[in-house]
Amino acid sequence: MGVLRLSHVEVRVPDLELATAYYTEVLGLLETGREAERVFLKCWDEHEHHSVMLRYAPTYGLEHMGFKVEDADDLEECERVVEKYGGQVTRHARGELAPGHGEAIRFDTPTGHRCELVHGMEKVGNLLPRTNPPPRPLGLVGIAPPRLDHIFVTAEDVEEGTRFFKLLGFRLTEQILADDGHQLATWLEVSHTPHDIALVTGPNGGLHHFAFWLDDWNDVRSAADTLAYHGVPIEVGPTRHGATRGYTVYFFDPAGNRNEMFTGGYWVDPDHEPVTWTEAEMGRAIFYYEGAVNQRFFTVHS
Amino acid sequence: MGILRLSHVDVRVPDLDLATAYYTEVLGLLEVERTAGEVFLKCWDETDHHSLKLSYAPRVGLDLISFKVERDEDLASLESRVEAYGFPVRRTSRGEAVGQGESIRFETPSGQLMELVREVEKVGGLLPKVNPPPFPPQGLRGIAPPRIDHVLVTAEEVGEATRFYTDLLGFRLTEQLLDGNGHQIGVWLERSHSPHDLAVVTGANGGLHHFAFWLDDWDHVRKAADILAYNGVQIDVGPTRHGITRGNTIYFFDPLGTRNEVFTGGYRPDPDFPTITWTEDNIGRAIFYYEGELSERFMKVHT
Repeated sequence: MGVLRLSHVEVRVPDLELATAYYTEVLGLLETGREAERVFLKCWDEHEHHSVMLRYAPTYGLEHMGFKVEDADDLEECERVVEKYGGQVTRHARGELAPGHGEAIRFDTPTGHRCELVHGMEKVGNLLPRTNPPPRPLGLVGIAPPRLDHIFVTAEDVEEGTRFFKLLGFRLTEQILADDGHQLATWLEVSHTPHDIALVTGPNGGLHHFAFWLDDWNDVRSAADTLAYHGVPIEVGPTRHGATRGYTVYFFDPAGNRNEMFTGGYWVDPDHEPVTWTEAEMGRAIFYYEGAVNQRFFTVHS
Repeated sequence: MGILRLSHVDVRVPDLDLATAYYTEVLGLLEVERTAGEVFLKCWDETDHHSLKLSYAPRVGLDLISFKVERDEDLASLESRVEAYGFPVRRTSRGEAVGQGESIRFETPSGQLMELVREVEKVGGLLPKVNPPPFPPQGLRGIAPPRIDHVLVTAEEVGEATRFYTDLLGFRLTEQLLDGNGHQIGVWLERSHSPHDLAVVTGANGGLHHFAFWLDDWDHVRKAADILAYNGVQIDVGPTRHGITRGNTIYFFDPLGTRNEVFTGGYRPDPDFPTITWTEDNIGRAIFYYEGELSERFMKVHT
């Protein structure tokens, strides 16, 4: 019941061909649909039609983020929650928003992001048979993560954004508190992982990054090899987070949207007591090995 | 809502000191509490009171498997479902079992005693809740898995047991192994968006095939094999990989003969995940993908 996990992200790119080449050849996603101004992509182990939508636009950034809900009536329930909060909700029939798309609602979050909740996206299957499947497909190109993992966005008022996502059923796993006690950044989950969405102080509507799952640290190393080989600018890593305990490498797509490859973390019960990081330890919270965060990581977003 | 995950496994051991030494020194679990005939253990990253209970008894075997539910009202609703199915349910009150609150207990069609519990005493993990390092404190002994993962039990009628676990308790079928007649001879069931929290294979009713602890990755599985071999623990199978669940694994036996596993990998099934089917002619690869065959011991030995 309720929100299950991150379903998809739609990002703007000024060069659709270049971005598609990067997401398919370097990241190793699969193209599942194409229109004049949009390309639809998924990871190999995902069953649904798309988890990344690229949209042609003169600039970069996040067009919207979509979360999957478990049951069709969760849409109505969440619609009531958002409307009670004072948000405007639009309803969209199956297939209206994109090929293969499910029934959806859309609204703006108090952090200035376009957010969608979706149910019933078309199942196109992963790359394996449903009878006697091997544990993975061979011959994939690029990094080939099995699935999308989480999104990290910027917000002027992290506390208000956090309150809003809690209304939708998200639970706080970790937070960075400023010396005066207010939240500088929060990590929130619905999928029993350290985070499905995180918020960090910055302009409303900003995208800090979205992340794909890898199976282990050795795959993170291998991803760095692939990125370096293709001349993709690696921003930070491979390294480890204090917050989430995850292993990571950050880099940029050709349009300037930040991507991450992520693994590790921990299992989260709903009664998990949140972890708090103090402002003095922010460096270790973000990059545990370096113990410091570079200026670019703090200030660059799309 | 409903069942969240495996909470704890309670097993009988004829030598409590030997078993405790093995589970703390070789597996690297932490002793939380001890009574005259019982030892309660947990993994380093678990915050609940215990995930393994050892009880002294003249013979090895399974006492019960306990699953954690999310809300108090889940106990009442699952209790009425099990009772409506015709199975008697016993309520245990707070304080009756060490380290936990109210629970319900019942025997399943596969003959195991199952418990559902909501309130478990929080004893905390080994890390602080403010500025914690991302790894456990230095100096943990043994394999030191962060948490328990799943349990595999045996049943005479796997299909009947599966209907009980899915229709009544809300488990979802991720994978199944079918014989030539289309009958289920093994099923993998989940509640926690992992390939399995509970699996059932053909065998004696009431039997325990193994319980498994989570490891973070394949490299940790390799290190676990080092530690097992160093301590002279009998390795049953592995390190290897499963076709079913895609997990990486090693099986081994505790000193009293109960099979343990350390496990990592897998995938994240949504509740609408389409079930994977394995056919009996592929049973070898289904269970051990690299070997492509099952040993007699793995098929027959359980407690």
